[in-house]
Amino acid sequence: MIHVKNLNITLGTFRIKNVNLKIKKGEFLVLLGPTAAGKSVIIEAIAGLVPIQSGQIIVNNRDVTKLRPEERNITICYQDYNLFPHMNVQNNITYGLRFKKDKHNPQYRKNFKELVKLLKIESILERMPLNLSGGEQQRVSLARGLIGNPDVLLLDEPLSALDPNIKATIQEELKNIHRTLHTTIIMVTHDFIEANYLAQSVAIVHDGKIIQQGKPEEIFQSPSSVFAAQFIGVKNIFRIEEPAELEFFGLTKPGYIGIRPENVYISLKPIKTDYHFQAEIGDIRNNQIYMEILCCNTRRDYLAYLTINRFFELGLTKGMTVYFGFNKKSLIHIHEKPVQDLKCKA
Amino acid sequence: MERRLELLYILAALTGFIILVFNVFPILNTFYWTDWDTVKMTLTDKMVINSIWTSVKCASITTIISFFLGIPLAYYLARHEFKLKNLIESLVDIPMVIPHTVAGICLLTVVSPRSPVGHFLKTHNIEALGTEMGIVLGMLFVSMPLLVDSARDAFKWVPVRMENVSRSLGATHLETFFRITFVLSWRGILSGMIITWARAISEFGAVIILAYHPMTAPTLIYERFSAYGMKYAVPANIILVVISIIIFVVLRLVSLKGRQRHDSR
Repeated sequence: MIHVKNLNITLGTFRIKNVNLKIKKGEFLVLLGPTAAGKSVIIEAIAGLVPIQSGQIIVNNRDVTKLRPEERNITICYQDYNLFPHMNVQNNITYGLRFKKDKHNPQYRKNFKELVKLLKIESILERMPLNLSGGEQQRVSLARGLIGNPDVLLLDEPLSALDPNIKATIQEELKNIHRTLHTTIIMVTHDFIEANYLAQSVAIVHDGKIIQQGKPEEIFQSPSSVFAAQFIGVKNIFRIEEPAELEFFGLTKPGYIGIRPENVYISLKPIKTDYHFQAEIGDIRNNQIYMEILCCNTRRDYLAYLTINRFFELGLTKGMTVYFGFNKKSLIHIHEKPVQDLKCKA
Repeated sequence: MERRLELLYILAALTGFIILVFNVFPILNTFYWTDWDTVKMTLTDKMVINSIWTSVKCASITTIISFFLGIPLAYYLARHEFKLKNLIESLVDIPMVIPHTVAGICLLTVVSPRSPVGHFLKTHNIEALGTEMGIVLGMLFVSMPLLVDSARDAFKWVPVRMENVSRSLGATHLETFFRITFVLSWRGILSGMIITWARAISEFGAVIILAYHPMTAPTLIYERFSAYGMKYAVPANIILVVISIIIFVVLRLVSLKGRQRHDSR
């Protein structure tokens, strides 16, 4: 179990404010948030690479807060791989073993063989980092981070420098590695699809604070703030205040609701969804993968995504009157919670 | 595609040509000027040989001292941002903007027996004036900034994140420095050492104030020139030029070899 308690860090004008995290042993946690939210600073603090102002970091019942990075048994991999350019792949992977007290433990040799096989890097062991592709470098970096049985593996945007095809492969391999080795992993990303695919637990970081932590499905179904909702791809977010509307959407008090654009149906005829409206098409955007349709209702504008085939089937044009709607189960109730609610009680 | 002549490149070629001629022509011209019989005679002149040896030895000691004193500071400056950083960097570089005879006088005020430091040295039987120690002090003052600056730039080239990875893998800060940072910056540091050595061996202004004797090669050449004229100054000049170029080329080759080995990996 990793327990980060009331972590506070000040770096110039940037602050990490009262961060609390609990990660079960063997869990895959993703810190999700926009650029400059403080995700990387949090994991560098866990690794002991950033000085902290106050707080405590407990790893497997061991207080590592005051330990040097090399004493923590927490390894870090960055998006830019940072392989040692003067060592070949094999020496890069085994670099950390020479500093281990039990460096002759046969387990490490076993780990080496297993990782090299899992990451499919048997054929490049003699090559120098300069001659490796981005994907190969990231695989070597992962093997190097995992070989010494770390208590935690920290991944700082490990997939963001890779092209989409390689990214998908490494993503799969990362999942496979976690399934096989059960290493506790904390990964930083700004991509909520990546987080949804890999994480067993997600923590949303915004402006130096953790604004929500939970299972991916919980976060994706019930984001705790408008920011979190926007960040996980909810486009239609509305504040509901009027009594009639509160009753219509089943709310007991004023608050926000959200609907994902992919859950909005459009039809040329009246539609039988739980909530349905009539609208005029205000805008149409083709992003080559799907169509973005802006439905302008008398009260609000809703964004809907349609497949390109469906769009041509309906023959939609700007200014056309259509029916659109969504079901109750697609309605996301956003309960804005103050951040203090997440404060660790321990 | 047809290759066009860019005005900027034509300008670069022209100015580059001027610089090369300006650098090389005076050196080559010295060879033309010289009387080769006198050069042969000078080669057996003990005073000349001793002065060249003093120069080479003191420049090498200066480079080694600069290395051990300069590397830790250079690393700190490369890795940390702090309030007085600009001031400290300027203070390190100050000797480069001070005329070298002025630098010599400044050092003299410190090591002369009338100053507390000079008095302390004297009472401990350490003589700085008119000794090789004085020569090294003069050389160190003017050439050490070059090594600090080169090493600092070389350290900056190694990503901090690479050091972070090394430390997270179990290496201490010192182990990380020697196994990663220093190895990867070595080429830049070596270049800095070459420049430092070259600057030290050519130092005249500060050295002559602190130690006219034992004579370094530049001091001897100056003395020969002022006492006997060009005929006796040029041969010693040529010997020093040849030795300096040989050492410079050898060190550059060592540095380039390291670079090629590194690049081919």
